[in-house]
Amino acid sequence: MVQAVATLPIDDVAIERSPGYWVTVWRRFRRDPVAMVALGVILLLILIAILAPYITPHDPYRGATLRRLRPPGTPGHWLGTDELGRDMLSRLIYGARLSLFMGVTPVFLALFIGSAIGITAGYVGGWVNTILMRTIDIIFAFPSVLLAIALSGAMGAGIVNGLISLTVVFIPPIARIAESVTTSVRGLDYVEAARASGAGALSIVRKHVLGNVLGPIFVYGMSLIAVSMILASGLSFLGLGVRPPEPEWGLMLNTLRTALYTQPMLCALPGIMIFITSISFNLLTDGLRSAMDIKA
Amino acid sequence: MELDTATKPAPAPPPTAQEAPAHPLLEAVELVKHFPIKSGLFGRANAVVRAVDGIDFSLYAGETLGIVGESGCGKSTTARVLMNLIKPDSGNVLLNGRAPGTPELSLKDFRAQVQMVFQDSYASLNPRLTVEDSIAYGPTVHGLSSTDAVRRARRLLDRVGLDPRRFAGRYPHELSGGQRQRVNIARALALEPKVIILDEAVSALDKSVEAQVLNLLLDLKDEIGLTYIFISHDLEVVRFIANRVMVMYLGRVAEIGPTDALYTGGRHPYTNALLGSMLSMNPDERTMEAPLAGDPPNPIDPPPGCRFHTRCAMAESVCSAKMPTLTVTGAGHFAACHMVDPTSGHSKAAA
Amino acid sequence: MLTYIAKRVIYTLPIMLGVAIVCFLLVHLAPGDPLVSVLPPDASEQLRQQMLALYGFDRPYAEQFIKWLGRAIGGDLGTSIRTNRPVVAEVGKAVSNTLMLAALATVIGFVLGGLFGFVAGSFRDTWIDKVASAISVAGVSVPHYWLGMVLVIIFSAQLGWLPPTGAGPGGSDNWHWDWAHIRHMILPAVTMSVIPMGIIARTVRALVAEILSQEFIAGLKAKGTSSFGIFRHIVKNAAPTALAVMGIQLGYLLGGSILIETVFSWPGTGLLLSDAIFQRDLPLLQGTILVLASFFVVLNLCVDVVQTAIDPRIARS
Repeated sequence: MVQAVATLPIDDVAIERSPGYWVTVWRRFRRDPVAMVALGVILLLILIAILAPYITPHDPYRGATLRRLRPPGTPGHWLGTDELGRDMLSRLIYGARLSLFMGVTPVFLALFIGSAIGITAGYVGGWVNTILMRTIDIIFAFPSVLLAIALSGAMGAGIVNGLISLTVVFIPPIARIAESVTTSVRGLDYVEAARASGAGALSIVRKHVLGNVLGPIFVYGMSLIAVSMILASGLSFLGLGVRPPEPEWGLMLNTLRTALYTQPMLCALPGIMIFITSISFNLLTDGLRSAMDIKA
Repeated sequence: MELDTATKPAPAPPPTAQEAPAHPLLEAVELVKHFPIKSGLFGRANAVVRAVDGIDFSLYAGETLGIVGESGCGKSTTARVLMNLIKPDSGNVLLNGRAPGTPELSLKDFRAQVQMVFQDSYASLNPRLTVEDSIAYGPTVHGLSSTDAVRRARRLLDRVGLDPRRFAGRYPHELSGGQRQRVNIARALALEPKVIILDEAVSALDKSVEAQVLNLLLDLKDEIGLTYIFISHDLEVVRFIANRVMVMYLGRVAEIGPTDALYTGGRHPYTNALLGSMLSMNPDERTMEAPLAGDPPNPIDPPPGCRFHTRCAMAESVCSAKMPTLTVTGAGHFAACHMVDPTSGHSKAAA
Repeated sequence: MLTYIAKRVIYTLPIMLGVAIVCFLLVHLAPGDPLVSVLPPDASEQLRQQMLALYGFDRPYAEQFIKWLGRAIGGDLGTSIRTNRPVVAEVGKAVSNTLMLAALATVIGFVLGGLFGFVAGSFRDTWIDKVASAISVAGVSVPHYWLGMVLVIIFSAQLGWLPPTGAGPGGSDNWHWDWAHIRHMILPAVTMSVIPMGIIARTVRALVAEILSQEFIAGLKAKGTSSFGIFRHIVKNAAPTALAVMGIQLGYLLGGSILIETVFSWPGTGLLLSDAIFQRDLPLLQGTILVLASFFVVLNLCVDVVQTAIDPRIARS
């Protein structure tokens, strides 16, 4: 058996390749209709945000006092006009830009920082782990909504302050997940085997740890985007995130509250957008999670 | 499984520690590794597991040293300390007389020369890397270009009996246990080591697959001139593959000697008890000797004196009072039992 | 068990200290002067210095912190800059209002979430499961402040059944457990219950599905145990985790009530926090956050201890 193929020229023969992990995940994901629809909705929202200047019927900033608070279905303004007479459809389309940006950016920043903290703590272990994770525990000791609002409130309204507060809120849970998956991977035999081959810590982390921990961390981060969308719009809704006259769904919800009794449909619209986005991210994450749950 | 002992390769020049040939390839000098157990209010370490508690032995080029013992006796910890994956609390590992992690022998160079194959063939392969990437990783760490490393990986796959065209691009979960263990062996070979530590490397395999992998190991040893440390709880397999056997009990060496001498005339009651628990294929040869009863004592609080005295039929008062040391009982054969030490005061001590 | 409790309590102390430090520093994140809300913009420098000294803002941070912490432990959280009343009194009243709301919301969320989760888990991969799961996904995805507005539109603006805002005809000062007051609670509590409902439904579904797939259930069925008997087993096994999730959710609701309280003008900690933020009443901001965060930490501690007492296997580290 050992000698069976020993004399073949094997340096440059074509080898059969199995599909990689992510290819397999994608194939499984593709078979999940709910998750595919969710992905489609998210891609559509992103497309709308990018193409906003080309597809909006009106200037989202310019209103007309004579055409204020028109109901959806008004000719020329399919979705009506807001309290300053600005076209709702145009503002909702432009709103996708800021709302998606404010919802998604903090999660990615937190993924970056939180993974770095968690993977370092998990791989190095010992007192480095203790110091990093105990510090994280302190931030984690605050309920997330409270911390986001307290930070934004203390720093004052504004896009940057909102992004910072939300990022700070999402770092601890991501760091915890990153730490726990890294700690469990670190103890596996293949990491021992890599150490036994004489590799240094950085090389092992790059080649053997990251590939096995980034997937679960990423999925966890994805699951936070839905929360982040709601929270980010919530900050603007309170008057802490995006400031007028910028179109942002949460802020629109706030300013339209005055029309709660007169034009109820109108003030429900921005919330529906937040809802659709958030539920799409949740369903996308659920699909991704089950697609990644490959039992070998 | 009937392992044909006649196919056993001629043993390397009988390495007898007594005569101490030039120098051993690998030495363990008074290795000690205790694991603290944290508990209590402030997480103080108020107990230690004495996993390895003073181990001494030498490994000679070309031989296969078997290490046997019940689970929990410290076999795997010994392997990891030998590999320098765990730092010993005290004692030294020496390769050609040099300690790894010193200016004379960097840890990296040491690891190129001593490699290990783990028991769990699945857990020891990175699930996200293809087989050839797993094998090629070590050589790239040691400076080989990735093209050359992949070439080496494919040659090694071929050598361990896996067609690289079919297996090089596969992921571990697509392989059978035996195939994965062949990959692990190829990975260990990739650094062209002198010593390979096989930690229960065939224990998880089906018996038929186990025999194939054992034969592969023997072939490789002959072709490349490897030296093995073969750790197993399976006494049959160890008898088949090892030239010398070391019996461990609760973190210490009970007996060490040439395989045939030890299997036919063990001097430590523990060795004989272990061998007695082996089922002979021939009913007439089945021993009537009392098998080993109960579990080994807790390594957190090992018994004083000889660690085996709590389960030993021959125990006397001296056994609980004094710890026996390894004493010569024959050519290259040592046992840590008061009965082989004429000066011990044990009534059965051979004068 | 006692050792475990002692260990958990001791482990909590540094966290509490850290929480206090964060609360204290929060104020110094604020741009500008901590006195901006009390001083007229044209105040003289001399007056400014006097006021700074009066509030102790002129001392080094470490000294300010130790003094502040010492007083806070003694139950003195300072004086609201805006109302000149003790922060403790303001927060105390608000906390009781929010606690009522959050507790009711948690109970509603637990009952509904438990029901949906149980049904979904028992009939896994059927259309019942799909509907129940869809409701729970919607629950965690809906912007609850918007849901509150929608409920106001339907039940107050359109149907006129329930009041849209406030905490009763007598305001928050004279709360009574009568219909006139309780009807004010219904909309905010239902709105608030949506979040724990979704999370508890998901947790219970996973728990029930896991328990049902275990071998002892097959054993019980083989033994001829009635479906009620099996139901009891499921409840017994799922309850500790579900209750723990419920406890944590109560904490999140207490801390996260600000959005809902803003929609419904419910006079709780959220509204207080909102006032403190927009009127830059820093002692009030500090105090409210400290109380809410401490509450959350203690609640987590209790959940851990109770959970371990019920089921010692799950001693969380």
